[in-house]
Amino acid sequence: MKLIDAARVIRSKNAGPTQVTLDLMFDSREMYERALAAPSLKAAVIAQRFIVAEAEIIPYPAANAIKIVLPRRIIAGTPGDTDVYGAQQHRPILDLEI
Amino acid sequence: MSAFAATIDAWKREKGLLRILSASGQLGYGIPEPAFRAGLARKPHLIGADMGSVDPGPYYLGAGKLATARRSSKRDLGLAIVGAVRNRIPFILGTAGTGGGDPHLAETMDIIREIARENGLNFRVATIGAEMPRDTVKAAVRAGKVTSIGPIGALTEADVDGAARIVGQMGMEAFQRAIDLEPDIIIAGRACDTAIYATLPQRLGFPVGPALQMAKIIECASLCCEGGGRDAMLGTLEGESFILESMNPNRRATPMSVAAHSLYEQADPLSVAEPEGILYLADAKYEAVDERRVRVSGGRWEPATQFSVKIEGATWLGARAVLVAGSTDPVFIAKAQEIAASVEAMVRELVPPNPKRPYDLFFRFYGLGVVGGQPVTTVPEEVGVLVECIGETEEEARAVAATAKQYLLHAPFPGRISTAGNLGFPFTPPEMTAGDAYRFSIYHIMQVDDLAPLFPVSIETIGG
Repeated sequence: MKLIDAARVIRSKNAGPTQVTLDLMFDSREMYERALAAPSLKAAVIAQRFIVAEAEIIPYPAANAIKIVLPRRIIAGTPGDTDVYGAQQHRPILDLEI
Repeated sequence: MSAFAATIDAWKREKGLLRILSASGQLGYGIPEPAFRAGLARKPHLIGADMGSVDPGPYYLGAGKLATARRSSKRDLGLAIVGAVRNRIPFILGTAGTGGGDPHLAETMDIIREIARENGLNFRVATIGAEMPRDTVKAAVRAGKVTSIGPIGALTEADVDGAARIVGQMGMEAFQRAIDLEPDIIIAGRACDTAIYATLPQRLGFPVGPALQMAKIIECASLCCEGGGRDAMLGTLEGESFILESMNPNRRATPMSVAAHSLYEQADPLSVAEPEGILYLADAKYEAVDERRVRVSGGRWEPATQFSVKIEGATWLGARAVLVAGSTDPVFIAKAQEIAASVEAMVRELVPPNPKRPYDLFFRFYGLGVVGGQPVTTVPEEVGVLVECIGETEEEARAVAATAKQYLLHAPFPGRISTAGNLGFPFTPPEMTAGDAYRFSIYHIMQVDDLAPLFPVSIETIGG
């Protein structure tokens, strides 16, 4: 199953100008646990998808959600940036198989 | 007696619940009036609003400008201040004027004086400055008391000198000193959005953990409800717990919607750092009161042994000019990147950069993998073209953009079929100057022993 079909919300946004964070929210505990256990949602795979050095995966069971924290390639608003708010950085994980 | 003093006295006589109304998480973008009026009718002990953020980028902080239109800012400030002052309810505004620096505070105060005059109001305003003295920041750099937040370089004294403006995020400590001045309203520079709402509860002896936890949620108004929303949000503090209720009757806060809100724009959903300590949310509990209200508890506050302030700074880079266009030519689209490289070489020859300070020139082809920074797998039938130059002066940036326009329009390339022009322009002139360009050069944590000197408070009476 692809992540885009499994999750209710897949969003990205800055957490300050130096980091971007993705929130994956699921309708059920089962789907949340399935995604959390998926090899495709491990930090190393995610970092590779986004072409960054590291990624942090934070499970948040209270909302059946998983948070991903990534370093921004360019600090928000610095020349060369293409997404100041970081709100359009979710695409590379939409087709991950879980 | 000031609105703050009267409210504090009245609450001490009656005790009980403390009602706090969040009017807006983005003041200046339109406070929905019906929900705000419904909130006023609940007789809150405090009205709060947040007006700023680093989200819109470094320009506003650096240039000292508001991101919100003046007329929209005035409308929202008018709604909040007239509502607060006429009903004798204390009002706190955090991060005035987008950036929370001195010019932002000054322009916000200018709008407030206008509102007072036009409405015949008379009130006492405490203001809190948030611009960081450069000597203090440099001394902290030398003492090794400044650390980076995320991937930004270690701060140097040259960065501090080079920044156009540096602000620090104040916490509850600064707002307490402002309340001491007996104001009716408090207008603060760069501030933690939590402190806007948690300071009065702290003053009245409420446990700080749940008060900050409530503040963290209501600071975004009704965003914690199902489907989000900008409507005013009421937080009712009970002590170790609090109840959340949107002032729009159609918006429902549910345990799941409120829990999910803790994720928003936070790198860590389980802790929130404040200048005076850390709020821990790992034990947060969310229970439905009814179908649109939620009771929350479990926020735990740990005071810090060492105060720290988040500092933000923006550095001026130059003047920006941009060119907006598009192309539908399949041969041009297929070769866009190499055509851009040849045009760039031509531009740099015709408008020679200052070797000491060469201009930046970017060619962006929307549709070919710009926004996500990764190549696309299918080539589109149409692409958007954005050329951006950041030069030493506006004149240089415009010269570069105009030259890039002409040569990108007429650039020859192998297999070219559309020999009259490669681009379609949406308007004329297609190249335009876009003001000053800045970057965030400071986004760090600075350890300090004493918060008070960084955030000076003052009081003035407006009107009358």
